[in-house]
Amino acid sequence: MKKVIVFVLSAALACTMLLGCGTPASQSGSGGDRPGAEGTPAANLTLDNITIGFVHITDPSDMGYTYNHDLGTQEMQRTLGLSDDQIINKFNINEGGECLTAIRELIEAGCNIIFATSFGFEDYMLELAAEHPDIVFCHATGYQAADSGLANFHNYFASIYEGRYLAGIAAGLKTESNQLGYVAAFPFAEVISGYTAFYLGAKSVNPDVTMDIMYTNSWHDPTVEAQVTQALIDRGCDVISQHSDSTAPATTAEDNGVWQVGYNNDMIPAAPDASLISTRIDWGVYLTFAVSALIAGEEIPVDWCEGLSEGVVLLTPLNTAIAADGTQGAIDAAFAGIKAGTLQVFAGPLTGEGVNYDGSPAVIDIPEGEFFQESYPGSAPSWIYIIPGCNVIE
Amino acid sequence: MLDLGTTLVMAAVLAGTPLLLGALGEILTERSGNLNLGVEGMMFMGAIMGLMGSFMYEQAMTAAGAQTIGFFSALAALVMSFAAGAFGALIYSFLTITLRSNQNVTGLVLTIFGTGFANFLGEFAGQQAGGYLAVGAATKAAFAPLAIPFLSDIPLLGPLFFQYNWMVYFALAVAVVMAVFLFRTRFGLNLRAVGEDPAAADAAGISVSRYRYMATVIGGGICGTGGMYMSMVTTSGVWVHGCVTGYGWLAVALVIFATWSPLRGILVAAVFGGLMVVRMYVSIPGLPIQIYEMLPYVATILVLIITSVRQSKKHAMPAGTGLNYFREDRE
Repeated sequence: MKKVIVFVLSAALACTMLLGCGTPASQSGSGGDRPGAEGTPAANLTLDNITIGFVHITDPSDMGYTYNHDLGTQEMQRTLGLSDDQIINKFNINEGGECLTAIRELIEAGCNIIFATSFGFEDYMLELAAEHPDIVFCHATGYQAADSGLANFHNYFASIYEGRYLAGIAAGLKTESNQLGYVAAFPFAEVISGYTAFYLGAKSVNPDVTMDIMYTNSWHDPTVEAQVTQALIDRGCDVISQHSDSTAPATTAEDNGVWQVGYNNDMIPAAPDASLISTRIDWGVYLTFAVSALIAGEEIPVDWCEGLSEGVVLLTPLNTAIAADGTQGAIDAAFAGIKAGTLQVFAGPLTGEGVNYDGSPAVIDIPEGEFFQESYPGSAPSWIYIIPGCNVIE
Repeated sequence: MLDLGTTLVMAAVLAGTPLLLGALGEILTERSGNLNLGVEGMMFMGAIMGLMGSFMYEQAMTAAGAQTIGFFSALAALVMSFAAGAFGALIYSFLTITLRSNQNVTGLVLTIFGTGFANFLGEFAGQQAGGYLAVGAATKAAFAPLAIPFLSDIPLLGPLFFQYNWMVYFALAVAVVMAVFLFRTRFGLNLRAVGEDPAAADAAGISVSRYRYMATVIGGGICGTGGMYMSMVTTSGVWVHGCVTGYGWLAVALVIFATWSPLRGILVAAVFGGLMVVRMYVSIPGLPIQIYEMLPYVATILVLIITSVRQSKKHAMPAGTGLNYFREDRE
């Protein structure tokens, strides 16, 4: 027993010493080596010596979100001519304390800029961004950069709601039961904005359509995604779309002889008889921009969000073998409208009810002729309202 | 359209089947005195190897210019997944029975190994196939719900009993055969004796090692077919990273829920499956999803409490389970 106490005490002492030494060292490092102000070039950072870190919730084998984001990393690497050892990926990091460790390891490995790609990483990243003002942190899908007051912390996302609106057109034209189903991850703004846009797209070509929404409570759980899809089909839905990472909704839809609209990746190879079309984000545009800006000493916006018009949100090829006649024409027309600014996704008259982050009720009533500006000024979606016709099953 | 109750029962059976297979494998294993916590690992190995079996059969048929036949594709999946699970269990048996290493530690290692093995191989094969590791239409059709002439068309009874994929009936058959084997044959009696008191069984001239090896390896193979259900039915023959995650542990919990009885396993697997999908069919306003998701675990805890309060020897874990047997150890 005495030995154990001695051991614990000495271990505690060692930890205290390490912590005590660690803090001043990192402070002096940031004060001495690099200028702290935003926009000034970091000490002789070039394409040859920059190191870039990534934190991902799964790995590219998910064939979904992380796969798609990693395609962006590869695109950035090709465009900028970076070598493999300049990019450090941390895959399969959960949205808990593991994230903190992963980012610390990236910092110790000498990363100059770190990208974290999952919603739940934001709090951990904020914590470390405050400790390391000399390193640039970029968080996808987050919403706290503008309020954080940190010059080295940025949020980025894309107006995926525009892509979902167009994909919704394919669903609206295809449905026979006029009942769509949506496999949704969590009741967050990003998800609600996505399915509302999808529903509005479907409704623009099919005024009678309604949509059932069921949550999986996970970004990636193939079994639950398949079960939720089956439950939606059992309710009578005949076109399924998803805000979840796997192909299980596509294959379950195919098994039941109904159709599906995908996200993040072309899902036609997984379910050739069911998958109509998918929408995805080309993350490479932002990654290339942010890394180039850091090297050139230019400012990275606190919130960055671009969409269809800039080629950041893309549609995968339409499955013409099963899509309804005229789908491509209707999508092209809406695409042109969004590009020209004549078509707004969240256009009035539109009403909805939702719940704020703090749990208080929220209502919106957009009159005819006006519209809700999504993803501005914050890059993260902020539409939290459930509109008539959307039926959330809880 | 079918009514709510029918669709709920059907979804419950489909959700419960992989758990039933995993639990049946573990029941056989634990009846022999081995507590193999590697169920998840063996299910993962069965999941990827079953899918690979079908995929490679299809590739071979395409290369030979022959027609892919769904029956042989499904058979390839079944054999390969059984072999993969059995191989995992063989590693476990060698370590625990021959080398007498700690059963808990070995089982946990097998879980970690199997998970990594499957995800690595699935990702690798997916890249080789140019994106997705996915099976073709003939194989998908082989795992689709059955349409038995006449029987499947009976109103209500047809959907409830005769419209599942063949794996459901396979799992039921395994459960019945295992129950007969354990409780109606001499070999079954010997196996139970080995699990309850290996020293007494040894004294009676039963080879403890042989019984433990056989039960654990066959049990592992059954777990492997449960994993194959996840990759061939749940995700319809497309490899999805981590598709078994968590289900191996649920199967271990189900063994306790079933009180080590294969036939009771059928019932509790359906109940377990039902508790997992009930929120998608029956909504109680105001009840958060998280509460629904706790239901299978709450049920397991309740069963544990009830069985330990009753102190019934008949429904308890075999007394020798978890302990390695070493003849010279006898006191």
